[in-house]
Amino acid sequence: MILEGAIIYSNLLVLLALGLTLTYITTNVPNFAQGSYAIVGSYVALTLLKLFDINPYLSLPVLFVVGAVVGLITYLALKPLLKRGASVEILMIATLAIDLILLGAIGAYSEILSQIVGSTQAKFVFANLDFTLFGFKGILFVSTFVIILLLIGLYLLLYKTKFGIALRASMENPSLAQTMGIDVEKTRLFSWILSGALACVAGGLLPFMQEIVPSTGDLIIISIFAASIVGGLRHISGALIGGYIIGLSESLITYYLSQAFGTGFLVYGKVISLIIMILTLLIAPYGITGVDWRKVKKMLFTS
Amino acid sequence: MIKVKNLNAGYGKLQILFDVNAKIEKGKITTVVGPNGSGKSTFLKTLFGLTKIYSGEIIFKDKNIAKVPPHQKARMKIAYLPQTNNVFANLTVEENLKIAGYVLDKDKVKERIEIALNVFPELKDVLKRKAGTLSGGQRQFLAMGMALVRDAEVLMLDEPTAQLSPKLAEVIFEKIIEMRDEFGLTILLVEQNAKRALEISDNGYMFVSGRVAFEGTAEELLNHEKFKEYSLGITAI
Ligand SMILES: Nc1ncnc2c1ncn2[C@@H]1O[C@H](COP(=O)(O)OP(=O)(O)O)[C@@H](O)[C@H]1O
Ligand SMILES: [Mg+2]
Repeated sequence: MILEGAIIYSNLLVLLALGLTLTYITTNVPNFAQGSYAIVGSYVALTLLKLFDINPYLSLPVLFVVGAVVGLITYLALKPLLKRGASVEILMIATLAIDLILLGAIGAYSEILSQIVGSTQAKFVFANLDFTLFGFKGILFVSTFVIILLLIGLYLLLYKTKFGIALRASMENPSLAQTMGIDVEKTRLFSWILSGALACVAGGLLPFMQEIVPSTGDLIIISIFAASIVGGLRHISGALIGGYIIGLSESLITYYLSQAFGTGFLVYGKVISLIIMILTLLIAPYGITGVDWRKVKKMLFTS
Repeated sequence: MIKVKNLNAGYGKLQILFDVNAKIEKGKITTVVGPNGSGKSTFLKTLFGLTKIYSGEIIFKDKNIAKVPPHQKARMKIAYLPQTNNVFANLTVEENLKIAGYVLDKDKVKERIEIALNVFPELKDVLKRKAGTLSGGQRQFLAMGMALVRDAEVLMLDEPTAQLSPKLAEVIFEKIIEMRDEFGLTILLVEQNAKRALEISDNGYMFVSGRVAFEGTAEELLNHEKFKEYSLGITAI
């Protein structure tokens, strides 16, 4: 059962880390608002549930679109800074500001929604709405299905379409891509739209496994960064690898520690992620996908 | 083909090029030589729109293209091969060739890739390999092949023979001649190997500290006192 929760959590983390890595590669922005994007998704799903009685699973396409808009708006807000060649520190602070704005907006919105519905909506879960299949939670299948769909979609896009090859080219070397006639701006726009969309979809699924409050995003962002960094911020496959490493170890290690030393340890889940992140950075500064395996082989064989 | 008038350009506030005037003639090879850091690469980048232009004009086919962004210049049949990182290392050779034809329609790309592979048959055996795994020579062939795929009329090459063996460098020079004579390409070449480059060129410019120090036919440059001193390494100019 604990493994079930760990896999669900990892799946959602991959969705979130993928967006973070993608926008970092294309625009060099470390997006601290990525966690709050997800919570926007959670609240949109809650709204559709409370006001129109729509099952959150059925809201996922809507969340995808809402997230796309949120990603797009963020990018347009950052664009003046990017144009002036702002440093990564400035960009980080800018996304922190955007995160604060989102956080405030979500908090205010939860109040408004509480008034409309007539009961407090500051905390909520969807777990009671979930189905079970073969004794497993529905969210396990849905989140896994979403990941598989995403991977197939990404593979087809990146390797089988002209735009996708252009996207990979732009990620590797934007100025060379420009000389080929690729409008690199379009690929940046696309990465932000996709990043927002995936985060909001993850946010719609998150309440099936944990309680949501307006500030949940600011706790999750730690794990998202850990996942992207451990996997390697230079390759989108890093988000996949890092997402599972951080997701599984955070859930499992915290669980076993709490078994051994008491439930007080559950609070320290994020610390585990940070420790793994730091250890990885010490051994492989560019994350797992940044490791030059040929060099490692050489080292092993020559020593 | 391209006329450069009173060009001042650089990076941000750092001006590198000062009042550069130059003429790149159609169907000819024009070579820019000069000491390290004299602004040769910056000159090519500027023509392609990758630096900041403070003033001046770049006239291409009777139009001032100084303000045209790089991705649109590719559509104007101008190709630029940077000094380093001139292919996509993470893409296969085939994908690189395809992406080079980004602005062309599908059938045209196929046709152009075939032409490029005829000029650079070495690439046929490595189509599925990632460009990052190619040797220096193969990589340069690929970069030049990509320019052919693009169906460019103007080809700007930044030190295509850098870090290649003399033998391979000679092959590259032969391919450059072939591109001019068989395809009628207008070529702007920047070379460290100034003497050999001028020998295959029609016209030449010598840059010193971001200015045109002297210009003329390739032969005139080769026989110029200053050039002889420079290539012998007597003066740093
Ligand atoms: N991206 C850049 N930003 C700032 N300065 C640069 C940049 N690229 C080159 N320079 C500077 O411009 C000058 C000319 O460089 P470059 O055009 O590469 O010379 P060359 O190709 O003739 O060796 C050098 O002083 C170099 O330091
Ligand atoms: Mg140079």
